[in-house]
Amino acid sequence: MNEIAIKVDQVSKIFGGLTAVNQVNLEIPQKTIYSIIGPNGAGKTTLFNCISGFYVPEKGKILYFGQEIQGLSTDLIASVGISRTYQNIRLFSNLTALENIMIGLHPKFRSNWVDAIVHSPRYLREDKETKQEAIRLLNFVGLAGYGDYLAFNLPYGVQRRLEIGRALANQPRILLLDEPTAGMNMQETQSTTEFIKKLRDDLGITIILIEHDMQVVMGISDRISVLDYGTKIAEGNAAEVQSNPKVIEAYLGPGGAALAEKFQKQRRSNVKSH
Amino acid sequence: MNRQEFQKFSQHGLVFAIIMIFLVLIDFQTMFATVISKILGTNVLRGGLPEVQFMVIFLVLYSLWMGWFIARKEENKSRRIIMTLVASLSAGVVVGLFGLILNSLIQSGTDVRRYLAALSPESMKLFLLNLEGLGPLALLGVFTVSGLLGSVLSIILQSPSVSKWPKTIKTGISSTWQKITGSLPPFIRKNAKFLAYLVLGIVIIVLPTRWGSYNNFVTGLVGLYIILGIGLNIIVGLSGQLVLGFAAFFAMGAYSMAILNAPLPHGLMWGFWPALLVGVLMAVVAAILLGLPMMRLRGDYLAIVTLGFGEIIRILLKSDLLSNFSGGPRGIQDIKGPTIFGFPFNNDVQFTYLIIAGVILSIFVYKRLENSRTGRAWLAIKEDAIAARATGINVQRNKLLALCIGAAFAGLAGAFFAARNQFTGPNDHTLMVSINILSIVIVGGMNSIPGIILGAFTLKGLPEILREMENYRLLVFGGLLVFMMIARPDGLWPAKRPQLEKKIKPDTRDGDSPGKGDKNE
Repeated sequence: MNEIAIKVDQVSKIFGGLTAVNQVNLEIPQKTIYSIIGPNGAGKTTLFNCISGFYVPEKGKILYFGQEIQGLSTDLIASVGISRTYQNIRLFSNLTALENIMIGLHPKFRSNWVDAIVHSPRYLREDKETKQEAIRLLNFVGLAGYGDYLAFNLPYGVQRRLEIGRALANQPRILLLDEPTAGMNMQETQSTTEFIKKLRDDLGITIILIEHDMQVVMGISDRISVLDYGTKIAEGNAAEVQSNPKVIEAYLGPGGAALAEKFQKQRRSNVKSH
Repeated sequence: MNRQEFQKFSQHGLVFAIIMIFLVLIDFQTMFATVISKILGTNVLRGGLPEVQFMVIFLVLYSLWMGWFIARKEENKSRRIIMTLVASLSAGVVVGLFGLILNSLIQSGTDVRRYLAALSPESMKLFLLNLEGLGPLALLGVFTVSGLLGSVLSIILQSPSVSKWPKTIKTGISSTWQKITGSLPPFIRKNAKFLAYLVLGIVIIVLPTRWGSYNNFVTGLVGLYIILGIGLNIIVGLSGQLVLGFAAFFAMGAYSMAILNAPLPHGLMWGFWPALLVGVLMAVVAAILLGLPMMRLRGDYLAIVTLGFGEIIRILLKSDLLSNFSGGPRGIQDIKGPTIFGFPFNNDVQFTYLIIAGVILSIFVYKRLENSRTGRAWLAIKEDAIAARATGINVQRNKLLALCIGAAFAGLAGAFFAARNQFTGPNDHTLMVSINILSIVIVGGMNSIPGIILGAFTLKGLPEILREMENYRLLVFGGLLVFMMIARPDGLWPAKRPQLEKKIKPDTRDGDSPGKGDKNE
């Protein structure tokens, strides 16, 4: 069994009277693709925000390779090795694609403003490394030739790729992807899915995924958790989650499980009759 | 032309007439006529009025513009004439009626200046072209005729043979330019950039000794505002914090210089350079004191807090509380200039050199910071602070750093300012100074050094040269800003992001030295 990369232990996040995340437990093993699914408003993104440090959970602990990180500042968590992308793309839109990746490289280097003014050896070395590494990453995410475009001028799918590239610049051990295929066509979805697999297999990155496209989720996830109204209602691999009546009910409403059963039977009889 | 169209175009004329009336109410037309007469080589005494033909020229130019503006979008030529006839007649009638009112005011001897400070009987007479009762009719005539001429002008300008001109001129210039550069010996072509800098350097060294103290005074002022603009640009343009109290840091530098290097009130004569250093440090200290509590504020709130801070500093310096320390409203006089190796720097030429050195230093520091790791972190914070934080950038620390470095520039400029004027007082550090600097950055173009230099020249240099505009500075500012929003929303000389991908060759040892930018291939 792999080491546990992220352990979410009884985490709750409360906004006013609303419990957005309610005593959620997750154990995410290293080098896996772990999906979190659930209907809109289930608390998936809130959980992400707790992990990446935007929110401090009211209760519970978040452990990163056994180390408590809840309550640490976001930039510290990022430089420790947890990167993320966003549901609505958040690139630095008036900067070029290459600059976006160079900013992603920020935590890797140390040179400060004095180094920059006097062009100290450290600055010159790091500046060169930054540029080389940024070009390498740009090619890695398949955006060679897009480097000098302003980010907001890039096509949608490319922007999503660039956001992943920026997140990768930090050499993270854990990557949080918030709906990486939202708004993409079949082909783009396909290539993004392949790319996410490559991140796990080639770079050994643990990936936590929020996704609404069930084909993507069922296709690449090693393990899936289902949230509904802030609570975890199911966990398991694709087949287990799909057949869980609670999950079906969460998506289709009360009585959904029976309805789904009926549909399945009907389909089976249709197939038989053909 | 149906009735609707008739209404529409007479309304257009009405708008132009109303603009004219407003201009007259603040006596803007006299200023313009004065500027025209100056351009045409006739000097006007300060406080005096220009001759009447220049007023006519102004009115003709205004209505030519009106005619062109109204006609420019219509396809049909004869319709253009009719449209402008309607519009300029209605404008002429309204302005003429206004002229009648002015005339009756002049006749009855009412002193309008009690209500409208700018409108003197003389300038009213001048607006009526010194024709008294016939003035309104003359105005009507001028408006109608030159409005029509404007529409004719628009037809000529948009005719295919004329509208090609700009393009022909442009290609002509670029081809001759290429011929000239092509015929130059290869030595010059190779070192073109270096030689250009050399020529610029010689001009900078020679010019201050040649062109008199007034021009040096203006150059020095522009130079100081370039330093201030670059400093504020680090705060506003790079790190995205809208600071409206920048004059406070300027005051810190100026007053440090004043207190430490003047005979009164403390008799401390530390010399220029130590006082300069303390001035910069004091500005940085002020930035830290202001910055620590305000780091969590953004946008409008930040603007209001810093605006308040600027005013607090100014009022403190003015108050009786500190009058023994900082001279109160009277300010501090007899501030001594610098000495370098025993040579005193007293005259305007030497001070101009000093300020130019300061400008070059500022540009150097800015350029080094802009595309460094720190500069990119600032830009990231400006673009999206939350995403910047999640990429591992310490937002608060970097914002504070930007504020401190920007303030240091202001401290430097302030110290120069005080030593150059040999005086500083609370009125040198008003809110208007902060607004001026911000306007320079925005009008010139954020994050663009040529833009800031251009902005400083247009907003500080031009008003000094065109003294007549002094009273209308705010109006011109406002007009310029509105014009900028429409025509050049990114500034006079907008910045471009560096194109790095082309320049970096992966896995080569020489990645840092891109081709020398030779575009003649």
